[in-house]
Amino acid sequence: MYSSANKLYELLNQHLAAYGVPDTVITIAAYVVPCVVVLGLISTIAGMLTYAERKISADIQNRVGPNRVGPFGLLQFPVDGIKLLLKEDIIPDAADKKLFKFAPYLVFTATVLASLVIPFGGSFIVADLNIGLIFIIVVSSLLVVGFLMSGWASNNKWALLGGIRSAAQIISYEIPTALTLLCVVLITGTFSLQEIVKAQGAYPWQWFVFYNPFTLVAFIIFFISSLAEMNRTPFDFPEAESELVSGYNVEYSGMRFALFFAAEFSSIFITASLATAVFLGGGNIGMDPYSSGLGYQLLMVAVFFAKAIPLCFVTIWVRWTLPRLRIDQMMSMCWKYFIPISFACLVMTAVWMLAFDGNGIFWRMPKV
Amino acid sequence: MNAITEYFKNIKDAVTTTFTGMRITLRYWVREPAITVEYPDRLGKGKTKDDIVADRFRGFLKLDSSTCIGCMQCLRICPLNCIRINVDKGPEGRMLTRFDINQAKCMYCGLCVEECPSQALVFTKRFEGACFDVRELRIAHILAPTPVAKLRRDGKGESS
Repeated sequence: MYSSANKLYELLNQHLAAYGVPDTVITIAAYVVPCVVVLGLISTIAGMLTYAERKISADIQNRVGPNRVGPFGLLQFPVDGIKLLLKEDIIPDAADKKLFKFAPYLVFTATVLASLVIPFGGSFIVADLNIGLIFIIVVSSLLVVGFLMSGWASNNKWALLGGIRSAAQIISYEIPTALTLLCVVLITGTFSLQEIVKAQGAYPWQWFVFYNPFTLVAFIIFFISSLAEMNRTPFDFPEAESELVSGYNVEYSGMRFALFFAAEFSSIFITASLATAVFLGGGNIGMDPYSSGLGYQLLMVAVFFAKAIPLCFVTIWVRWTLPRLRIDQMMSMCWKYFIPISFACLVMTAVWMLAFDGNGIFWRMPKV
Repeated sequence: MNAITEYFKNIKDAVTTTFTGMRITLRYWVREPAITVEYPDRLGKGKTKDDIVADRFRGFLKLDSSTCIGCMQCLRICPLNCIRINVDKGPEGRMLTRFDINQAKCMYCGLCVEECPSQALVFTKRFEGACFDVRELRIAHILAPTPVAKLRRDGKGESS
């Protein structure tokens, strides 16, 4: 229960309380500033991931990719953003105007909200909720409402089909995601992400992914089903270009479309950072994240990003490798394979903990 | 029993085929260079526009007026009638006074080049035909009256 917001509050309290700034203002500032910083960070990373996606896909297909705007085309994504800002915001006559306008904000908010509880290493976490993992699962299912809302409000058959598909898909794949995350919760006994990171160590054998064979399987299932949750290929049914034109966002243009786009790419990063924090040890370098110096804390952030960014690249790499499944294959994959296997992983982890007194293969349960 | 083995076989197949595919794309990602030609301004070091097209490229037509014998075979074979030739009789024999090729009409079939008995009419590698007026593409190859050549027997001009 100790986070950037708390730290900022203490800092502001020390320096500003003497000038008669009321406590309410300091509290609000202490919570708003980290939120804005994280929002900026997530948006920038989402933009850079669009660049990375175009560049990696180009590399895979023997093309060049964006290389005209700035060095190596690095300024392509701000230029794209500016272009989308300047575009006309078209709202169809037959659309349900209120829902149509509201849906992109809901999708983007639901995606970025999850970043509040993600520990970026050290004490850099906006709010260390003691129900962090549950918060992420709940907030990411808000996404369905946004997709379905945009699909329905567009009054377009492609959009509606995309919305319905995304509802079916995200609700199905939430179950294996939650079950695999529960494997780790069994070990640590807490939902707080900062505590989960602290329970792991700096070295690979101290990470929960190598706790026992079942958590390794759980990690793989988590990664695949989170691909489905953020509508990435091979599970991009809600926007399947070859079937549904563009799916739920087919009627959107300008900045509203950009919000959907930003939500998709920021969810790549958020899922990767969640996997990093829960299974791959997060920014843990074997030191206490709060009491160590600022240099070590920044090193923790660097370690965190060194794990999360390659995972984002794997997500992109998968997209340019695998074709889209058939919709019944996607459903049977979830209900016939992922859910039974992840449930087996959960049960077997529990049995393992009972049999070995909570110790993993290399990981040792701390003495209370 | 059969269903159970099939279940695990499906899992194994999914994992192995996915990894095969991922390995292939990884190889392309890391190793294979881009084959894109960045026409027109980044052709690479020392490369010109002629280097980026194939050797047998069918570009604009070119006439070598010193070997043209004025036989008009190209004019007759052209399916689109895009070649105009005038040959006048002068005091020093037959003179080529006009050899126009309308590149806007030309469909680059290559029949005229094949038909030319003295190989005076050839393709070049020039392909940039964009211009502001379509009449610019009606290219005159003879500017002043030129005497026609004799068909030589030494291979050059020998139709094969």
